[in-house]
Amino acid sequence: MKSIWENYKTEAAYDELMHSEFQPRPVSNRLCQYLNSLNKGDIDKRKIAAELAIMEMGISFTVYSDEGNIDRAWPFDIIPRIIEAGEWRMIEKGLKQRLTALNHFISDVYSEQAFIKAGKMPGEIINSSKNFRKECVGMQPRHNVWANICGTDLVRDKDGVMYVLEDNLRVPSGVSYMLENRVITKRVFPELLQDIDILPIDDYPTQLYDMLVSIAPHQNSKVRIVVLTPGVYNSAYFEHAYLAQQMGVQLVEGNDLIVKNDDCVYMRTIEGLEKVDVIYRRIDDDFLDPEVFRKDSTLGVRGLMRAWKAGNVALANAPGAGVADDKVVYAYVPEMIRYYLNEEPILPNVPTYLCSDKDQLDYVLKHLSELVAKPANESGGYGMIVGPHATHKEVEAFREIIKKDPRNYIAQPTLAISTAPTLCKGKLEPRHIDLRPFILQGEDIFVTAGGLTRVALTKGSLVVNSSQGGGSKDTWIINGEEH
Amino acid sequence: MLSRSAERLYWLARYLERTENIARLVNVHMNLLMDLPKGVEMGWLQLVRINAAEQEFREKYNSVNERTVTRFLLTDESYAGSLFSSLIAARENIRTSRDLLPDEAWQQVNEMYLFAKNNLDSIGSRRSRVLFLNEILKGCQRFTGLLSGYMSHHHPYRFIGIGKHLERADMTTRILDLASLLLAESRSDELRQYETILWMNILKSLNALLMYRQHVRSRINGDDVLNFLLLNKNLPRAVRCCLGEIADCVNKLPNHVGLPEKLDELKLTVNAIDTRQTTQLQLREILDDLQNKLGGLHAQIAENWFLRVGVE
Repeated sequence: MKSIWENYKTEAAYDELMHSEFQPRPVSNRLCQYLNSLNKGDIDKRKIAAELAIMEMGISFTVYSDEGNIDRAWPFDIIPRIIEAGEWRMIEKGLKQRLTALNHFISDVYSEQAFIKAGKMPGEIINSSKNFRKECVGMQPRHNVWANICGTDLVRDKDGVMYVLEDNLRVPSGVSYMLENRVITKRVFPELLQDIDILPIDDYPTQLYDMLVSIAPHQNSKVRIVVLTPGVYNSAYFEHAYLAQQMGVQLVEGNDLIVKNDDCVYMRTIEGLEKVDVIYRRIDDDFLDPEVFRKDSTLGVRGLMRAWKAGNVALANAPGAGVADDKVVYAYVPEMIRYYLNEEPILPNVPTYLCSDKDQLDYVLKHLSELVAKPANESGGYGMIVGPHATHKEVEAFREIIKKDPRNYIAQPTLAISTAPTLCKGKLEPRHIDLRPFILQGEDIFVTAGGLTRVALTKGSLVVNSSQGGGSKDTWIINGEEH
Repeated sequence: MLSRSAERLYWLARYLERTENIARLVNVHMNLLMDLPKGVEMGWLQLVRINAAEQEFREKYNSVNERTVTRFLLTDESYAGSLFSSLIAARENIRTSRDLLPDEAWQQVNEMYLFAKNNLDSIGSRRSRVLFLNEILKGCQRFTGLLSGYMSHHHPYRFIGIGKHLERADMTTRILDLASLLLAESRSDELRQYETILWMNILKSLNALLMYRQHVRSRINGDDVLNFLLLNKNLPRAVRCCLGEIADCVNKLPNHVGLPEKLDELKLTVNAIDTRQTTQLQLREILDDLQNKLGGLHAQIAENWFLRVGVE
């Protein structure tokens, strides 16, 4: 039979679903049997059905370009990515451990700085961090948790080990796509989902809501929660609206809110002003409050920091939490876990060279063509270089960029990040993927069952960001033993 | 409920109602023209006039015919009052108020938008244009049904109700404005011959033919039709009925100061109309006055509830 698996290559990297061209891993047995039972026409039909569903559901993201902002349909690959439940339980534990330690660290940075005093990290890293907000020193958010919502990126290397690539602690996005991907899969493969026990993910909005209630400044029964969006031109606007709708809370923009002289936040309603208790803000610190941060911001709310510092409103994530969302700080997370929790890290970091260190900088400059180098504070895959895929000229240019601002660059070995079968022109081909689980911490701590699997749709590409031609897959956590 | 959301839902409803009205209008007009002999003065330009867009139309198109008028009214994205522009505006308003509406509401409008977008060319021929318009009408009806069945009849629902009925009343007055021309003494003998057909089509354009038969129980004539479409309290597209619906919503909303008075005034104006006693000229003045008062009503609604940044 001329199968969709023909010439499927698994040698270059660890493949999540296949041992080899003809042999699925135990965990993906059922899926592969099922896919083999479909003919090419069937698969095409499913793909078209998925695309139609995406159009109708209006799942989109915005791309900024010279020609203006365009709403693009969300590129989705119908073949799911599968993780065995036993491994997942370990990862889940590791993620909780990691975020707990990170929150200890942020609290510490804005109070005693014991970690630095103990010599675990040079103080210079914090002093020179653009995400360190001196306005936040001395604050104590509820439960001492600063980063309430975290999206941690994981990748699997050739050795089969899952590594943490970065922790997104500012305004991580993608969770709505994770949820919608499952909705689409249920439409496209209803037979399959009936047969296989996949951990459900739909409780995320409920968990998010409960977490937001748990950080309210008061414990009255009625808590007024809002989602604060920069507006319809933001690339993640779809997600902001989606989460607000799923939680049944209001989606507000900066000028819907006002801080009065009593240092409380109110929203403008048809009945007049109404007090707000918790704000899930999807606006960066810089734009949050023109009174404190960028003066020219029209997205934020004047006086919001005053209200927060007075303890009249909770902000998730707390301002200043981004100090730990820095690829230089990232390098110290394993040490944080040992220091604050007295435990060994469950999930390893990718080895990281800090250009702020003279010796490491020398190494990076010398070996740049083998490494991945990226700025410490960017997201979305912008401003980075993948050494082995770059031209000689590009490497040269990047060397100069690093030399100018070594503090803000790090480098890592180029991982052979894992692949998964992805539908390309009616055939399955391996494409590189990562995984972004979402972790919520308030009174309790919660991890999504799986997360958002992002896939680099271009052959050989390692960049999975949606703004850079990436797509996504549904992620299944299933019990391996059953199959 | 946020002032911003109130405003968006209100406009969402107005734009969808406008979408539906244009579809209905063009549909009925096509039927009418098939019945009338060639060369009768009831041409395509009347549709443009109803929308008070003659000048804009003339600037864009050189000739007045079925092709140019339907393109202008249905698919011309550069004309803000076209069906497609209204649909785009409705979609933009619902896209930014998804947090208040059932999931299916957004999908319904989005599907309708995608359908229209993919079939803009199909309006060129009469046959496929009819199909296109029917699909749009069905979509609008599905949306209405979906909200009434899935959504709590609370504040957000009321703002939708206000927007919908205000737009509807406005459109009915426009259609009647045009119809009043038919009462003119100067109309030709040829047109007089077809008067009944014309009035029947006016009733059809407002989905009111059956109701007229049941309630008025007289043969179809201009005065009775006009009276029915202005004064009836139960016919959904009669002006008086729309005002009642708006009043119901307004009275249940907080902070409605000034509005009940305005509505009472409007109702008095409508109730005082007796088309049997008015000349065509007087009727046009009355309808003009009604349209202005509806504009005033909108201004008061915006004043009471919509977002005014910088004002506390």
